[in-house]
Amino acid sequence: MKRNWLIAAIWVLLAVLVGCSSESRSVTMHKPGVYKGDSDELIAKSQQQQQVLNDRFKLVQTDR
Amino acid sequence: MKSFNKKWLTRISTEPAHQTGIDRRTFLTRSGAVLGSGALLGLLPLSCVREAALEEKKNFPRPDAQTEYRRTICTHCSVGCGIIAEIQNGVWTGQEPDYESPINLGAHCAKGAAARDHGFGHKRLKFPMKLENGAWKRLSWQQAIDEIGDRLLKIRQESGPDAFFICGSSKASNEGAYLQGKFASFWGTNNVDNQARICHSTTVAGVASTWGYGAMTNSYNDMRNSKVMLFLGSNAAEAHPVAMQHILRAKENGSKMIVVDPRFTRTAAHADIYARLRSGTDIPFLYGLLWHIFKNKWEDKDYIAKRVYGMDDIRKEVENWPPDVVEKVSGVPREKVYQIAKTMAENHPGTIVWCMGVTQHHMGTQTTRLFCILQLALGNIGMSGGGANIFRGHDNVQGATDVGPNSHTLSCYYGLAEGSWKHWCRVWGVDYEWLKTRFDTSGQYDAGGGKMDYTMYMPGIPVSRWIDGVLEEKQNLSQKDNIRAVFFQGHACNSQTRGTHMKKALEKLDIVVISDPHPTHMAVMSERKNDTYLLPTCTQYETYGSATASNRALQWREKIIEPLFEALPDHVILYKLAKKLGFAKEMFKSIKVTNDEPLIEDVLREINRGAWTIGYTGQSPERLKLHAKHRKTFSTNTMKAEGGPCNGEYYGLPWPCWGTPEMKHPGTPLLYDPSKSVAEGGLVFRANWGTDHDGQNLLASGVYSKGSEIKDGYPEFTADLLKTLGWWNDLTEAEKKEADGKNWKTDLSGGIQRVAIKHGCAPFGNGRARCNVWEYPDPIPVHREPLYTPRFDLVKKYPTYPDRKAFWRLPTRYQSIQSVNHSAKYPLVFTSGRLVEYEGGGEETRSNAWLAKLQPEMFAEINPKDANDAGISNGQYIWLEGAEGGRIKVRAMITPRVGAGTVWTPFHFGGWFEGKDLYDRYPEGTAPYVRGEACNTATTYGYDSVTQMQETKATLCRITPA
Amino acid sequence: MARMKFLCDAERCIECNGCVTACNNEHDVPWGINRRHVVTLKDGEGGEKSVSVACMHCTDAPCAAVCPVDCFYTTPDGIVLHDKDLCIGCGYCFYACPFGAPQYPEENAFGARGKMDKCTFCAGGPLPDRSVEEYKKYGRNRIAEGKLPLCAEMCATKALLAGDGNVVSDIYIQRVNKRGGRPDTWGWATAYNFKADKETKP
Repeated sequence: MKRNWLIAAIWVLLAVLVGCSSESRSVTMHKPGVYKGDSDELIAKSQQQQQVLNDRFKLVQTDR
Repeated sequence: MKSFNKKWLTRISTEPAHQTGIDRRTFLTRSGAVLGSGALLGLLPLSCVREAALEEKKNFPRPDAQTEYRRTICTHCSVGCGIIAEIQNGVWTGQEPDYESPINLGAHCAKGAAARDHGFGHKRLKFPMKLENGAWKRLSWQQAIDEIGDRLLKIRQESGPDAFFICGSSKASNEGAYLQGKFASFWGTNNVDNQARICHSTTVAGVASTWGYGAMTNSYNDMRNSKVMLFLGSNAAEAHPVAMQHILRAKENGSKMIVVDPRFTRTAAHADIYARLRSGTDIPFLYGLLWHIFKNKWEDKDYIAKRVYGMDDIRKEVENWPPDVVEKVSGVPREKVYQIAKTMAENHPGTIVWCMGVTQHHMGTQTTRLFCILQLALGNIGMSGGGANIFRGHDNVQGATDVGPNSHTLSCYYGLAEGSWKHWCRVWGVDYEWLKTRFDTSGQYDAGGGKMDYTMYMPGIPVSRWIDGVLEEKQNLSQKDNIRAVFFQGHACNSQTRGTHMKKALEKLDIVVISDPHPTHMAVMSERKNDTYLLPTCTQYETYGSATASNRALQWREKIIEPLFEALPDHVILYKLAKKLGFAKEMFKSIKVTNDEPLIEDVLREINRGAWTIGYTGQSPERLKLHAKHRKTFSTNTMKAEGGPCNGEYYGLPWPCWGTPEMKHPGTPLLYDPSKSVAEGGLVFRANWGTDHDGQNLLASGVYSKGSEIKDGYPEFTADLLKTLGWWNDLTEAEKKEADGKNWKTDLSGGIQRVAIKHGCAPFGNGRARCNVWEYPDPIPVHREPLYTPRFDLVKKYPTYPDRKAFWRLPTRYQSIQSVNHSAKYPLVFTSGRLVEYEGGGEETRSNAWLAKLQPEMFAEINPKDANDAGISNGQYIWLEGAEGGRIKVRAMITPRVGAGTVWTPFHFGGWFEGKDLYDRYPEGTAPYVRGEACNTATTYGYDSVTQMQETKATLCRITPA
Repeated sequence: MARMKFLCDAERCIECNGCVTACNNEHDVPWGINRRHVVTLKDGEGGEKSVSVACMHCTDAPCAAVCPVDCFYTTPDGIVLHDKDLCIGCGYCFYACPFGAPQYPEENAFGARGKMDKCTFCAGGPLPDRSVEEYKKYGRNRIAEGKLPLCAEMCATKALLAGDGNVVSDIYIQRVNKRGGRPDTWGWATAYNFKADKETKP
């Protein structure tokens, strides 16, 4: 009797384990080129920085 | 070296990698970076890598801290680049381009762009130390000064004041350098010198004896106006990189660029014409140019007739140098000599640049004179775009040359005659008779040529020869005893020749004192076990003061950071020592001292009060600070302020800045330029040698500066001349009182200069430039083969000088060395030069992590032919043995950059000696990141016949695989 | 919108390495890393030319295309940056880059490969601008301060230019016209299939 109980328990355990190990069918696909990191606050400022940077360029890097 | 990698190059290059297809940097540093852990790391000692890799980022700008901006001048070369430092809570956290500086316009080379690393002090000497039984022991400042002072006083008592050799520095500020010289005078010796001796002393002597002042006549900026530029013995791209900004812009404006050098330098890479000459044959090459110039009548006859003396004597010598002889001796093909001569003649104005490739020869003075003569023949001196643009080396070597410390003259070229001493005693406010007692008055010594004199009036032992002052037999010296003690403040000994002799000299000395930010090669190269003192000394970033750039302009430096660790600035250390030695009261009589710190501004004011000869009188601290503040108002072309508070003045008040600061002279941007009035920076040639010689006129004829009331040549101004001219009453009563019986150099009121300039005249007269310098060993420059020449067959025809018994207090050998054929055993020419990453002896720059990682090893450049002959492959260790037996172990760099028969090494390395790394001899934590053989361990004897310049650029060696 | 570009004028570059140490100074990159290099061709012989190279901030950046974790992004003005928190240090971008720009610092003395590091055009990374964290990971953010890359701002001869591509090219064209010849920039001849028959320079 005990032995049957044990076999039954193992079956149940196996069934539970098999149930647990089932996985999702959808695979993660990396879409190349789509940035996945944190956002950079500089991006928002780019537009307004442009004139500042051009002025700076003329001040520092041009031949005088 | 298997780790050499061509990947980097070949991968991005479309050209095939040729035989020696890796460049110098790939060869050495590389690909550490590209390969992650490539050759670079493989080459460095592991401990060094670890140490550097583990260092965390610190000293960076924090968003919440307040930022202060301070400005200083780069301490790595004579261009004088402005540096803007960002300081947060006293820490140097950032560096910004000083784009308002008219000199560098924000630009830097590797050294200037890495300046901030000096603010971290990774490898700095941290406290005073003393070598005791071979171990370094920490001392307090008080203890160090007391011990050193007691030893010096004892030596003074036993051997006299001349047993002490003091080496100052061209890395000190003007004020520091001036005090170094003054310190020696008050101690009582002329045995004091600085790097200028081994840098451009031959230039100063040769050029000053030609036309009055021995300095760069124009400026880096003015080269933009040149139509042709000849570089001989100058590698500006590595030694003066920021100067290349102006040079390349000249080239873009159509100027022709000519480079003549034994080595195809990075400067040569930009040249229109490059010619390779044999080391030490500059004179034949220059005569070769003059041969074509005279033959084709390309010379400026009018200019010569009016402003030059003795050109006919040159014509005679030129006849000895027809094209075939020039080619045979110098190795420059005759077509190339012609092409260069023609280019020089057809493009006017033209300038000449020379550096240590020319000066560091035993006939350097004669060579520099011939440069001047060439420029005079072409009528190129005294105008924008022309001139002799002599690029000086260290950041303040021009200043240290000018204000001292020098062994042959008092501050500002006053000489050592009794009158000179009296002049400076008046400025210093001390009694001349008292000062005399400080010197050795016990006897007279051979001053050369059998003339006897006291040491006070005799040039001291120069820095190039201090080792002989130690090693020479006592009875052969023109002083009481050998040198027994040395004090080196800011000078690396590995830049001086004959390392093996230096080691012996160091071991013989009673006491060695090194005052430097780093221990230097000197602290480790010998087997000394005791009596060596290290005094931690500030860099110029930790103090303030003025520095003179190569163009004679003075710039003010602000203090960037407080002294690191226990370091003290030069002037404080000198004061402490002077106090201990008992002459501080007299030495600092007119200088305010607070907590042992002399006030820098007062020191400059004292220089202003005495330096009439070269016009260091108008550059008061206040005026220099004003220039620094309003630097953006100066034109980058003319260096003249356009509007603003400095309107009409030239940036940095380039000397001569005549008269008192109140006179507001604008400085002299171009020497000897008569197109401007003297009051506006114009000038004529100096009349320094009387009015005539051997019946020939030495004064200018029909040439005078704009607005001059004397429309012809005139002698230098004296009180008597003013009276003769009827200008005496232009002086104020106070000026008259001071000026009576004086001349333009000794009148402390400045009245004579003021009145001369008021009448449009140059205080120093209006003379002719001399081609014949009759007081020199060679009145007309003649070629003399190097003492160690690869062409022994030419020695008979072009011999050196006879040996001398007493020359700068020492026996000096010439013929006895040259008469032996050394080239049989040592067939290769050995010459040296600079790397852009390092400076001078290199201790400071090799301790800078950002620079060290770019040049991690000492090497020698060898032509493929010589390498194959010697069985040497690229990258292997070799022994390079100099002709006097000194040996260095270095990596072989096989490259066509040097011609066959020539071996080149950089001279910045130290910390190795004859194959042995001396890491263990440094006090803990002070060994530079990069150590290597000092090339001067293998260099040889040879000294200039006028200035004792050392010969480093033409000696001999042999190479063998190690 | 402007596109930020580097341009190194080979006629002006003197291989002084000022750009390399300026970069070290500004970002204090670890030993073994140089975000910028000076490359010399024909070293020591006639025709020697040097050019300073770092990340070229490509419009269609190959590094970004191959990155397995997509840690790259491009700012609207064309600066290519990456997120080090996402980077796995695989080195694939090093394969892809035509300029050898990506660098990998040692994590310890045994040389394990760390997260990729490269030139940021002095624009930091995806962390708060001018913060300590941004400095430690990416270096200083000059763009946010209204300044341009320090390497170019400190270039000894103004050979290296960095800024709005249009402004840079204006300046460069002026220089070329002044020199009266074709551009001497490295790569020009290859790009335009130019045969150097009139080469007169040594």
